[in-house]
Amino acid sequence: MSTRIGPDDIADLCRGSVFLATGGGGDPYISQVLVTEALKKYGPVDLFSLADLPEDALVVAVGEVGAPSISLEQLPGGDECLAVIDRFEEFTRKKITHLVSFEVGGANSVIPLIAAAARGLPLIDGDGMARALPEAQMMTFAIEGVKPSPAVAVDYSGGCVYFDVKDTRLYERQIRSFAMAMGGMVFTAEHPMNAAEARRAIVPNTISFALRLGTLLREKRGNALVLEAPLRKLFRDSDFGDFRHLYTGKVIDIQRKTVGGFDVGEAVLASTIDERPPMTLSIKNEFLLAKVGEQVLASVPDLITMVDHETSAPINAERVHYGQRVSVFGIGCPPHYRTKKALAVVEPRAFGFDLDYVPIEDLPQGA
Amino acid sequence: MRVGIDVGGTHTDAVLLDGKEVLASVKHLTSANVRDGVFGALDAVLHQAQAPHSSIDAVMIGTTQFTNAVIERRELVPTAVIRAALPSGELIPPMIDWPEDIADALGRHAYMIDGGKTYDGFPIGEFDQRELDEVLDDIAAKGISLIAVSSVFSPSDPSQERLIAEQIRARMPDVKMTLSHAIGGMGLLERENAAILNTSLLPLADKVISAFASALDVRGIQCPFYISQNDGTLMSAEFAAEFPALTFASGPTNSLRGASLLTQLEDAVVVDIGGTTSDIGVLQGGFPRQSNVAISVGGVRTNFRMPDIQAIGLGGGSIVASDDLQIGPQSVGYRLVEEGLVFGGQTLTSTDIAVANGSAAIGDGTKVAELDPELVEQATQEMHHIVNTGIDQMRSSAEPVPVILVGGGAVLISRSLDTAADLLRPEHSGVANAIGAANAQIGRETELIANYRDKPRTQVLDELKDALSQELLAAGAAEETIRIADVEETAISYMANEASKLRVKLVGDLKFSANAPSAGADSQEGLP
Repeated sequence: MSTRIGPDDIADLCRGSVFLATGGGGDPYISQVLVTEALKKYGPVDLFSLADLPEDALVVAVGEVGAPSISLEQLPGGDECLAVIDRFEEFTRKKITHLVSFEVGGANSVIPLIAAAARGLPLIDGDGMARALPEAQMMTFAIEGVKPSPAVAVDYSGGCVYFDVKDTRLYERQIRSFAMAMGGMVFTAEHPMNAAEARRAIVPNTISFALRLGTLLREKRGNALVLEAPLRKLFRDSDFGDFRHLYTGKVIDIQRKTVGGFDVGEAVLASTIDERPPMTLSIKNEFLLAKVGEQVLASVPDLITMVDHETSAPINAERVHYGQRVSVFGIGCPPHYRTKKALAVVEPRAFGFDLDYVPIEDLPQGA
Repeated sequence: MRVGIDVGGTHTDAVLLDGKEVLASVKHLTSANVRDGVFGALDAVLHQAQAPHSSIDAVMIGTTQFTNAVIERRELVPTAVIRAALPSGELIPPMIDWPEDIADALGRHAYMIDGGKTYDGFPIGEFDQRELDEVLDDIAAKGISLIAVSSVFSPSDPSQERLIAEQIRARMPDVKMTLSHAIGGMGLLERENAAILNTSLLPLADKVISAFASALDVRGIQCPFYISQNDGTLMSAEFAAEFPALTFASGPTNSLRGASLLTQLEDAVVVDIGGTTSDIGVLQGGFPRQSNVAISVGGVRTNFRMPDIQAIGLGGGSIVASDDLQIGPQSVGYRLVEEGLVFGGQTLTSTDIAVANGSAAIGDGTKVAELDPELVEQATQEMHHIVNTGIDQMRSSAEPVPVILVGGGAVLISRSLDTAADLLRPEHSGVANAIGAANAQIGRETELIANYRDKPRTQVLDELKDALSQELLAAGAAEETIRIADVEETAISYMANEASKLRVKLVGDLKFSANAPSAGADSQEGLP
């Protein structure tokens, strides 16, 4: 049965998305406001199951690219994702049949709902990351060989740029510089896929999962140790698989600097529940590596999520500060990121950490 | 000597302080006419200390009048808002996610015009004079006399908001306004919301601040007076009249600051036990630990920083269910004096337990003499357990912390707590808010997006420090005491340049002398 998403679901969906954003993805507040208004105006959207995709489908990924924190100040116009679909169809002279999200982590989980609602286009229940990651080539679309272009980007002024580029890493450089030149945020339609490509490259069921996750976080609202069991059940019954409580402690040190568009840093936690040595969390926009002493407890592409210990509200890496009481969870990534070609792009070495990826379920338990 | 006055919804409290010593304290009912309440409290506290009016160097006032007005949707005057941002934000108009009742109270007069700047200073929309003229015609035709003005990235470049303000002033000299850059940092909607709320409170602010001034004047008190703001520092009365919204969090802040001043502790957990709930807050360096989440005031999202407070469901009026030993969160509240057993009522409350176990002498103790001693013991343990758990959740480490108990319900806690290194019950804690208001630090802060490629970091910081220092000097700070209280810097992630969000706060000690200036920052627009 497909999931129907109405205006009253958006807060839950965003809450789940922030949890899956592993510290990155920005604050989805503005998108939440926009999407809620759009669904009130156009009615709810039924998520489309990937398994039902017809053979003649043209699936296009829609979302925003840039710095999420900037768009809390320079707001989007609000209809950019409609414009970007129109321009894509004009340029390519093809009709888009289905939309898909880049990433379920953060604002991009909900942005395509605006276009889906306004244009009556089905939105696939799935995405290209099953979490948040900083760069386009890390999307499962690119990893599975889908070409980024033809791609179209629209800026705040309504201006439009057409991209013809074969390699997603080059596309990432082009689109990022365009976003920076145009106020820090642009909207794109990209990585067009036929049915076979879409079935291979999209991580299925992640949008409805984020909604269930956000609903659980709201309904069971409580401290992290109380939520651990229901969360574990939810994740273990999904494609994510393993779910672990890694650590509970107080932030005793946080260091960060900006390097080439990344918020790079390290947070150190001192346990408040046992005698274990401090945990070190390495940050590059997202939480990428969790260690206690020299022992790795989880690493990218597996998910590392930090929550406020008392409320279990997920904490953005930009907002980590001294003295916070937090719990850290480790979550297995879906199989799409466990392949050799995927790991070449998203393993710890791809982020500059000198260690091999070991799946979380093969690492020692946290607590 | 300083007088601290706390004007709450029910009580107006006053204290007289010499340095850190409390010479006198009184509680007085808040009258419908704010001025009379202030009179009463002021006269009583000076009478109690036998101090002449002339001995007062400064008066500090904390007030929840403005917060209450927003929460209760009263005294809010219709307000227009002009946002210069188009084409950005077109489908996210001002007041978009406000609760219906408060949006109605303010009249939903939202206008959007072309304008704003990108993070790196490029115009978003071209400013169009005719567009602004039409908006101002419409506002004038509606007879609206309050206007909030916002534009994109105004904390970094306020020129557009200032330009609009000049034109408003030229056409409608009697209009009062708030420019968003003067009241908030990054985050357009939150800053704009704060500016709108602030604007709609300006008439009330005028009324309240002049009532304070006239109360002092009538008593022949010539010294300057100050209003306490969100972070626990002071602002001049003139500044407060322009920025009433900066008092939104001053209630809980003053309570925590007062607990710190009374105990001379800079780092501690404060438990304020009231009738229905207990508020737990944390002092760090003498100031409240601040919450990190967006704060809503009366349902409106703002970016003011509030103390991080956790409320737990235990107070002096909490109902004790004797069958399962559940205490709270149900409470008889203010009806304790009718419904509690020791007051001759029929409901077993936490206060009755405290009387029964001998830790409090309230009401008629014989009414609880027959209670089962085991029930009393278990209920006593449960109350301590509830507070202990609350402290544990708020303290910053597993180490026991000094705990300061304040509020009318503090008698509930009579034994030691695992989490508490030390339990303090300061005298005068009933007037902690007034004591917290009577501190002597004045503060000012600002936030912007800095681009270190255009200007080196040290230069950006120096310029901000100079500007804020000038404002503090004008507001009465002693120059040699001005210092940076906080610099917070956040890199803008996913942006490959050196842009950072920078928040700087300066504080200084007030200088007390007969001719200390009482005026706030007095720039061209009467704004900082």
